[in-house]
Order: sequence, then C-alpha cells, then structure tokens
Amino acid sequence: MTRKPAAFRLDDPGVMLDGDTAPKKAKTAPKERARVTHDATLDEPLSPDETNTALVPAPPPVKSGFPWGKTLAAALSAFVSISFGLWATQIVEDLFARAEWLGWLASGLLGVAVLALVAFVLKETFGILRLSRITDLRETADRAAAADDMAAAKRIVARVTSLYASDATTAQGRAALAEHDGEIIDGRDRLKLAERHLLNLKDAEARALVTGAAKRVAGVTAISPRAAVDIVYVLFESVRLIRRLATLYGGRPSGLGTVRLARMVIGHLALTGGVAMTDSIVQQLVGHGLAAKLSARLGEGVVNGLMTARIGLAALSVVRPLPYLSGRPPALSDIMSELTKFGSAAKKE
Amino acid sequence: MVSFSNIAEEARLAALSIADYASDMVDPTVRLGVTGLSRAGKTVFITSLVHNLTKGGRLPLFSAHAGGRIASATLSPQPDDAVPRFEYETHLAALTGGGRPETRHWPDSTRHISELRVALNFESETFLGRNLGRGRLNLDIVDYPGEWLLDLSLLDLDYTQWSAKAVALSRMAARAKLADPFHAVLKTLDADAPEDETQAREAAATFTGYLRAAREERYALSALPPGRFLMPGDLEGSPALTFAPLDIAADARAKRGSLHAMMARRYEAYRNTVVRPFFRDHFARLDRQIVLVDLLQALNAGPSAVSDLETALADILSAFRPGRNSWLSRILARRVDRIVFAATKADHLHHANHDRLEVLLGHIAGRAIKQADFAGAATDVVALASVRATREATVTRGGEALDCIVGVPEKGQKVGRETYDGKTEVALFPGDLPDDPRAVLADPEHALSAPEGISEKEWEAFRFLRFRPPLLDGAPDAILPHIRLDRALEFLLADRLA
Repeated sequence: MTRKPAAFRLDDPGVMLDGDTAPKKAKTAPKERARVTHDATLDEPLSPDETNTALVPAPPPVKSGFPWGKTLAAALSAFVSISFGLWATQIVEDLFARAEWLGWLASGLLGVAVLALVAFVLKETFGILRLSRITDLRETADRAAAADDMAAAKRIVARVTSLYASDATTAQGRAALAEHDGEIIDGRDRLKLAERHLLNLKDAEARALVTGAAKRVAGVTAISPRAAVDIVYVLFESVRLIRRLATLYGGRPSGLGTVRLARMVIGHLALTGGVAMTDSIVQQLVGHGLAAKLSARLGEGVVNGLMTARIGLAALSVVRPLPYLSGRPPALSDIMSELTKFGSAAKKE
Repeated sequence: MVSFSNIAEEARLAALSIADYASDMVDPTVRLGVTGLSRAGKTVFITSLVHNLTKGGRLPLFSAHAGGRIASATLSPQPDDAVPRFEYETHLAALTGGGRPETRHWPDSTRHISELRVALNFESETFLGRNLGRGRLNLDIVDYPGEWLLDLSLLDLDYTQWSAKAVALSRMAARAKLADPFHAVLKTLDADAPEDETQAREAAATFTGYLRAAREERYALSALPPGRFLMPGDLEGSPALTFAPLDIAADARAKRGSLHAMMARRYEAYRNTVVRPFFRDHFARLDRQIVLVDLLQALNAGPSAVSDLETALADILSAFRPGRNSWLSRILARRVDRIVFAATKADHLHHANHDRLEVLLGHIAGRAIKQADFAGAATDVVALASVRATREATVTRGGEALDCIVGVPEKGQKVGRETYDGKTEVALFPGDLPDDPRAVLADPEHALSAPEGISEKEWEAFRFLRFRPPLLDGAPDAILPHIRLDRALEFLLADRLA
C-alpha cells in the first residue's frame, strides 16, 4: 500500500475529473501495474518457447558475410533507373525537337506514369503495412489473452474495431461491442467478446471459402485431362483463396502483399506441417484409398482438395486479426467431411 | 468413526439423491448453492442474478443469454412448500427504491431461510439437446442467514471436541478482550457440578454476547459457531440454544446429571434438530456452488479477521462434497462439480486492483480450492460485484493521476472532517491492495497498516466508507448493473444450457 487513499468532492475546484466510466489509458507507473499474475506482460518480449503455433515467428536470419547479392541487385537497379531516366529525357527532348505538342504529350504521359507508379507503391506499402498490423494485432492479442491483461485487451479491441470501421458487415457487431465499452470485463473475456461480435460471421464465411476452393480443386482434378492442368489450377485456386481470405479479414493484399502473404502461409505450413501430418495423413491415405477404389482420378482429386484446404487453413491463421480464443480453429477434418460428401455425391452421378 | 447415526444419515441422503435424480429426469433442475458468511452479499447476489436473468440484463459473457438462446426466464413456484419464498420483489424494491429512488438502500440482513426457483426456457446448441432435451432448466436458489452456515463445521465435532476448540479460540489474542465476560462466567462453572438451568442460561448469554461482539464490523471475525446464537430464527430461548462450551479437556467424560452432561445433551440436540436437517435439506444436494466472500471487510478489519476468515472458509467447505460426478454418484451421492469463489463488493475498488483481489482470495481460500480441485471439481476465482454501486473516474491531483471510484456514500458516513448526507457523489481513491498476497498472510500487521502520513483513525474512515446502491437512471425497468456476474454465471451454468 504505497499510495495514500483520498476522497474528493466532485465540485472541488482543485480536482480535475476525467469523468467517464471507461478508464483512460493506464497512467500508473509500470511498477504499479497489476502485475500479480506471473505471466508475460506486454512490455516483455516473449521467449521462443512461449510462442505457440498461432503465431508466425520470423524465420531465423541466415548468417552470411558481406551481402554481395544485395549489392549487385542495388547497383543494377540504380543503373537501370538512371538509364531509364536518361532514355526518357532523351525521348522527350527529341519529341520537343520534332514538334512541341508531341513533347508536351510525352511529358504528360510520363507524368501520369510517375503518378501511377507512386500510387502503386503507396498502395502496396499500405497493403503490406496493414498485413503486418494484423499480424502484430494477433500476436499482441495472444499475449494479452495469456496474461489476462485488461488494459491491453481494451486497446486491442479498439484497434480491431478501427480495422473494421469501414466494413459495413460488422456494423451490428461493432455496435454491440461498443455497448460494453464502459464495463469492467477481464482481458481474455473482452477479447472473446470481440471475437464473437466481429469475427463469428467472417469465420463462417471463411470456412465456406476454404471448403468451396477445396471442392473446386477436387472437381477440376477429377475431370482434367492433363496433370499440368491440375497443377496450374491448384496454384491459381490457392492464390485466389489466400487473397480472398485476407480481404475477408480486412487485409488489402495486392501484388506484393500477396507474395508476402503467400510466403507467410508457406512458412506457417512448414512450421505446423509436422503437427498437421500426424492428424491428417491417415485420413488422407484412407480417403485416397476409398476414393481411389472408385476411381484413380477421384482419389487424386480428394488429395488435391485436401492440400488446398490445408493451404486455406494455414492462410486463416495468418490473416485473422485475433487468435482463436473461444472455439477451436477449424481443422482439416471439418473440411474433409465436406469433401467426402462431395465424393459420395460424385459417386452417385 | 463411523457410527450408526452417520450411516443412517448417509442412507437418508442417498434416498434424497435418488428422488432428485428421478425428478430431474422429468424436470431438469440445477440447485445453485449461494454460500457465504453473513454480510457477504448473498441476498443482493440472488436479487441481482434473478433480476438480470428475468429482465434480460447486460450479460455479454453468459453465452446462452448473449447468443439469444434463452427464450424466457421466469419466476416459478418453488419445489419445497414448507420453505418461505425468497422475497425477490421486496429486495429489489429496496435496492432500486421502488419508484422512489431516494429511498434506495441495501436489503436488511436475512433472518430466515427462503427459496426461489427460476425457470429457464432455452434452445440447445447441440443436435441431440434440441431434439431430445427438454429445453428447460430450473434454477433453485436458497437464501439463508450466513451465520447458520458456520454450523456446518459442527457436523463432525462432538461436544467435548467443540468445547475445547471454542474455549481455545476465545482465548486467542484477537478475541480474549471481547470474551472477558464469558471467561469470568466460565471460571465459576464446574463441569461436574449438578446441572443448573440458571448457570446454563448465564453461560449461554455471555457466550452469545462474545460472539456478537466479535462479529461487529470493527473486528469482522468469521469463525463464530454456533450460528443460531447470532441469528436464532424461530428457536429463540429454546433449550437447544441454551448451552455453552465448558473449560474441559478434550477427552473428559460427563458424569450423569452433571452440568457437562446437560450441555452435551443440548449440544447434541442442536446438532440433530438444527444443523443436520439444515444441511440435509439445503446443502447436501447442491449441484453448483458459488462461495461469496467479503474479503474487503476482512482486510479492513485487520490481520486477525483475515486469518479467521481463512479458517472459517476451510471449515465450512469441508462439509460440502465437491468432485466430479460419475453416473453412479449422480444418482446416489450428488457432488458439487463446479465452484466459483467470488470476492464480492469489487466495485469498492478500481478495476486495476481486481486482479490483486482475485489473487488474494485465491490464497485465502487456498485450502478449500485445493480440496475441491483435488476431488475433481472445477473451480474459478472471480472479483465480483452483484450490484455495481460505483463508477470509475480518474482524478488528477497535483499532477498525479489517481484511479478513483465515484459513488454516493451512505448518510452519516464520515471521512476526515466531512460527513456525507447520502446525496452527494464522492470520488474515492481507496488505495492499492498489496502487490503480493503472500505478504498479507505472512506479515499481515505490516501489509495492512496505514501508509505513511496518514493517521490510523483517518485510515479507518477511508476503509469503511460504504456506498449506497446505484441510482438507476431514467426508465423504471432499468436493470441493476454488476461486475462479472455474467462470468460467474457462464462458469456455473453454461454446460447445462449448452
């Protein structure tokens, strides 16, 4: 008991009242913060063994000497930019020499091109920033949930709400969530509440997306005449699925964003692959076995579909702004049951 | 020792349990035990619970309610016709003022046992539940004077054991002064003397006086059996209440016709006619339990009150039967499989301190929690306010931001030179709870003493400040606000409403 208790009249002029039920940011010194639970708090970095599979840790940096490759790339790209600049200036100058209007037209086109480039770069940057914001949100939320940190949870919920501020489908959820703003709710519980109000609908939709993609891949594989066609289709469908999932959960992936996303998904797959193997390989083999008895192509279709589903599930845990707190994350077996339904439907046909 | 009466008692309990099981098949029922010593807030808890359930209050974390699966929650006739009904309407009117908000006050302390049933109609989440289940659940709640709960610790003690324990307890430092008159009488009593009604009366009266004094808010001691001495109910003056402990050895034998024999006989009568039926009718058949603990009051009253509370909790809870239910135990010996330990009146602290309150309760109820965990019951610890009487605000004083609670203190409460009139709102910074719960238990004198620069008397005034129930704004059907009532409900009932 370090600080003196005190009572204030509300009309005392010497007292400034920050009068709302919702407490402002915790202004207490770090020492004063309720650090009674001996859990990791937000300001302490997590040790590697505390990160769980919902997080996507960065791969360990590879040790290397002087980065010759990077130097080469940088030097080359600088060289290319300079020569492009020179080439463009020359063209414009030439055109001005021929006819003035041609010169103006060329500079106008160049200006539009530069503007478009800037806009494109900005958009990509924002897309990638948004992606890393979502990743950061999820990691912070995971820690806050583990520590049951009330203040941190409140901040996270505010961030998630602002992430979806322009998403009309969450209007009802946001309104319902705002109603509980002033109430005293524990950290983990508040996050669960946000999960229920903001993400439940999206989760259902995401599951439908994954299942749909898996079904399509299975179908196309089963009827495609060439193996190359399936490979291309699986690739196409996976990238589309990843992008759609990211858009659904509030990311805005474009070219580079998608590449980055795909890398994260593959990283996640590689990390959780070992775990996922144990629970799914049997099913895959059995599933393949049964379907293959009916038709070899159908069996391959199911396997390809499952692969797409796995990519989708991995993407889910990368693009979702909150970790799965109240329910269990969708598992391969959930999608599997849908797929085999498709299998039996296909068998009838 | 397994005596015949114990076997008979067990058989009776099993019979009741079977009957309950049969009636549950037709009419699914959860018996919620609201356990708490006096002034822990049982009545307010029940009132707020029923009010929030039936009026559709704000319970975002109670999933069945938040998900809209509870179609209706209504008060319905209780199963036991011999027990008075819980006066829900009266208590609610007391809390809200019943149309005249300026008269709102906390309900008076409970003097009798009463019961209430809430019928919940719900939609099950599962396929089987929807198609085969009843979609109905009765919630039976019993309210009783908290003093009576102390008697449960007597179930396993015979007179000589209890007597030795009670006398030893009364001689402890914290109590010795309060028990002075009783000790004076005790000296004059000779256990082997022939029985004498006047002496017995005198001893019982002084013993009761000592128990009453120890219960005062200033001391807030908890372990004070027998409970009917404090709250006699309808037994006032009957011989079953006219006994007192004697200064005898734990293995003393009573001579026929002696004072000792008379006291022992009355003690047995008390146990058999008062404690056993009370336990059998209301506690032996519980399914779920919430243990309300007014930890703040104990902390305020000081170290002896805290350690006393710890003993009382462990004693009481050992009478219950926590544990996981198997199919057989569900029929023959029902167990309490979910227990919430709740530190009530959490609204008297800023929420930044709630975690500490929970940790503290976890330590003080530690023995009981461990016992329950070991038996396989699920337990949870919650800082709870059945009715939230304050709101929170930040007050800036001299550049320092203080997390305050704002509420209306009861009329006549004093802090410093100010006496409150029961109308003005006051922002109170209640101080911080100690960081480390172990410090409180290991070194209570130091952990609970007044901080520097503040006199002991002033310190007391701050700690004992009591707030009035909240003024519900506007609508006559406004619902009582609470803190974490929904979390407790979710833990206690969610699986039965799944």
